[in-house]
Amino acid sequence: MRGGKIIIRDYSLSVLRKRLFAVITAITFLFCLFLSRFFYIQVIWEDDLNARALDQWTREIPVTAGRGNIYDRNGELLAGNLPAYTVYARANAVEDAAGEASVLAAALGLNYDEVLAKLTDHSRSETALIRRTDKETAARIEGADLSGVYYARDDLRFYPHGALACQVLGFTSFDGAGSTGIEQRYDSYLAGERGEILFETDLVGVDLEGATAAYIPATDGLHLRLTLDYRIQAIAEQVMQAALTEYSAKAARAVVLDPNDFSVLAMVNLPSYDLNEIPRNDLTLLNSLSRNSVVSDVYEPGSTFKIVTAAANIEEYLRGNPDAYATNAVFSSSRTRVVDGTTIRCWSDHANGKHSNQTLAEALNNSCNPCFVDIALALGKETFYDYLAAFNFGRATGIDFSGEAIGMLLPESTLRESDFARIGFGQTIAVTALQLACASAAAVNGGYYYAPRLVDAIVTEDGAVLEQTKPALIGRTVSEEASSLLSSMLEGVVREGSGKKAYIEGYRVAGKTGTAQKYEDGHIAQGKYVSSFVGYFPADDPRYLALVIVDEPQGAYYGSTVAAPCAKEIFEGIIDLFRLPPAED
Amino acid sequence: MQKRNKALKKAPGKGDVFFLAAVLLLAAYGVVCVYSASYYNAQVQYGDGAFFFRKQLIGYCIGAAAMVGLSFLDYEKLRRIGVPALLVSLALLALVFVPGLGKSNYGATRWIAVGPITVQPSEIAKLGFVLFAAGYFSKDPARMRTLRGCLPVLAAGIGVCLLILLEPNMSVTMCVGALMLGMLFLAGISKKALACICIPVLFAVPVLIAMEPYRLQRLSAFMDPWASPKDEGYQLIQSLYGLANGNLFGVGLFQSRQKFRFLPFAESDFILSVIAEETGFFGVLALFLLIGFIVWRGFCIAARSGNFYGFLLAGGITLAFAVQCALNALVVSGCIPPTGLPLPLVSAGNTSLIVTMAGMGIVYGVSRHTQSERRIQ
Repeated sequence: MRGGKIIIRDYSLSVLRKRLFAVITAITFLFCLFLSRFFYIQVIWEDDLNARALDQWTREIPVTAGRGNIYDRNGELLAGNLPAYTVYARANAVEDAAGEASVLAAALGLNYDEVLAKLTDHSRSETALIRRTDKETAARIEGADLSGVYYARDDLRFYPHGALACQVLGFTSFDGAGSTGIEQRYDSYLAGERGEILFETDLVGVDLEGATAAYIPATDGLHLRLTLDYRIQAIAEQVMQAALTEYSAKAARAVVLDPNDFSVLAMVNLPSYDLNEIPRNDLTLLNSLSRNSVVSDVYEPGSTFKIVTAAANIEEYLRGNPDAYATNAVFSSSRTRVVDGTTIRCWSDHANGKHSNQTLAEALNNSCNPCFVDIALALGKETFYDYLAAFNFGRATGIDFSGEAIGMLLPESTLRESDFARIGFGQTIAVTALQLACASAAAVNGGYYYAPRLVDAIVTEDGAVLEQTKPALIGRTVSEEASSLLSSMLEGVVREGSGKKAYIEGYRVAGKTGTAQKYEDGHIAQGKYVSSFVGYFPADDPRYLALVIVDEPQGAYYGSTVAAPCAKEIFEGIIDLFRLPPAED
Repeated sequence: MQKRNKALKKAPGKGDVFFLAAVLLLAAYGVVCVYSASYYNAQVQYGDGAFFFRKQLIGYCIGAAAMVGLSFLDYEKLRRIGVPALLVSLALLALVFVPGLGKSNYGATRWIAVGPITVQPSEIAKLGFVLFAAGYFSKDPARMRTLRGCLPVLAAGIGVCLLILLEPNMSVTMCVGALMLGMLFLAGISKKALACICIPVLFAVPVLIAMEPYRLQRLSAFMDPWASPKDEGYQLIQSLYGLANGNLFGVGLFQSRQKFRFLPFAESDFILSVIAEETGFFGVLALFLLIGFIVWRGFCIAARSGNFYGFLLAGGITLAFAVQCALNALVVSGCIPPTGLPLPLVSAGNTSLIVTMAGMGIVYGVSRHTQSERRIQ
């Protein structure tokens, strides 16, 4: 085929050479095509593919992060961890299942058949043989040199004070994630970040020979410092427990606030349960016991709500509203008011000169319902609803706790006049205990409404404050003058009115009682009351405010007899605790 | 002319030793790669990591012997076995369907099993077809001027294709089809006749795809393998992971991560993926430079052979090798849907290795007898 020599009869060299050249060209083209494809995959697409591939090349054993501790405001530990270890097995990496099962069963005190079943269950990448055992037990497997068996830290959540503030603290799930309460709300801070032990394996999870396990350490969670003072919490729980027992009540609740910044000092829901022995098997019971009713449940406040009505009236009076009642104005002594054809009666029979010729201060002392009907009607819906809004009713308080109820406030536009009249003394309105405590505090602290807080700071391992929560002023309620005027009247309620049983000589306790009948299915439930008292001291510069609620007390039911003494005992406890001196005068 | 040829062939020359060396080198590299790719899987499946390696090594020795042996043979003598070679090929392909002889794997019957030895007839059929076509055309080169003259080659090619298609084995069918067209083209068939053949083939492709539902699934899996990462898309995804892990320079020989049972057929059809992972893009480039070198020398041998039969024989065998290499690389890189096609001389599989090396021996033989002719002249 060289030199133009014709080698085949009837066939020219040029045709064959052209054909061969065409074939070589086509093959070269094909080679270039797939080589550029190789280049694209291996050099350009590489990152994305490798990220996907990495996942299939390794199997993981989790390394649980140390969950952050929860402390009270003074650094007392409320929730912490007990060191514990979980023993895992990766069935696909186990070489001698029967032999290892007998060693493990003996070392960990487990059933041989169960262990063997787990070691031969190839459907799962990894299984836990024993959860959260102590280090000594877990360490027993170390010397045995068992293939495919590992142990990793997996701490046990521990609550040193047991049931203390259990609904507030909440608990964690079996896997250590926050389920309820602060544990749940602040889980992202407390949880930290899981680590992993990565094993290089083949397709089905068998360890590669000579491959080393990569250890990615866990990042421990951050600690929380609450606004709670566990001592005040303990005092309040003790007092409320006594009331719960004494009156065979259905429930007892209390909340203690610092009226100056609305940090929550104590939040009590009884009955309670031990956080270290959670009744996980009885979900109904657990749900009811773990519910933070102070924040999540509403009730009809009754007479304690008169604080708000009185505050609105005083403020309007000071602003020169002619419809408002002057502090020296005298209310009608009649026991009844007829509004829109509905008769509203006072709880008292007004016989023998009771509840006659009352001023506002006396109406508060006597907790006389008709007077507060008069005030509500005199101010009118529009003005009164402005005050309800200023006191944050019908809205969440904004506390850092999940599941807050907003209460029930009938809309102004469709409100019947008789219902409106009842709101004046705390009926036909439902609030949470926290809402009422906050509104009361905002009425007597000079008129400042803050968002209540449970968490004071987020703290790092070495104690440094990472994030400090600050009092957040939501709005003004009434003027300082109105506030102090109201406060002096509420001091009178405790000194000489229905709140007498909360009186502590020399400490200027002020407050207001409340007794509300409970409704069931739209009707008054006979014999079922909510007895409450909201009080604070000292009246001229409130430092501690407590709302006490006894739900369905048996025997006595007036707030003045059931709830007021509880507040007194809580205050006495605080006074003892801090050795507070009595007022100068 | 006959006389002169006889006199000359008594003293064959050295031939294209670079071609010989390149083929032996590539096949030896293949043995190493098979060892690397198969060791873990063989350890798990057979309890013997060297299982595939040993088989491949034996195949290499037999193949090398066949290659050297055939190079001593006067290739002109092969003219006479053209028709028998085709008939044997067709018979072997048909034997696959005989119960007891045919061996099925992964839903396809592609092997004949006699005792411990398994043979893949489709590999033999490729060589048989080239022998037949080269012999047929060179007997009377005027035959390919007319379509009628091409008919026996077409019939033989289609017959082989149909039998392979029934196994089923789409990719080898494509390979033989391409080889058939390439042979006709090299033989000098008129463009008009070529068009008459190609157009029906183009129509046949969608029909063939529609015939077997699994082909359509593979086709869609090839478009987006992540749509079915556990089923149809799995193999391609794993191949791509291997390629990507290789990057430019590779993770190092024997260091493949994908061969730990992630990549199916790592030692056979997808060995190129393991090579790409271990040696990187540059390794792939070097490999195909070597393959390209073999193809180029093969065509050079064909061009210099000095007679039409030698031209078609060497050209056809080289073409079959080149087409199969290209198809395998296209599959591994996800350019065409995944099918079972080995990378010749490299993938594990003794039929393929021995037959390919034997074919290369024939090509080398052509070069030896050509050079001697020139030297004496």
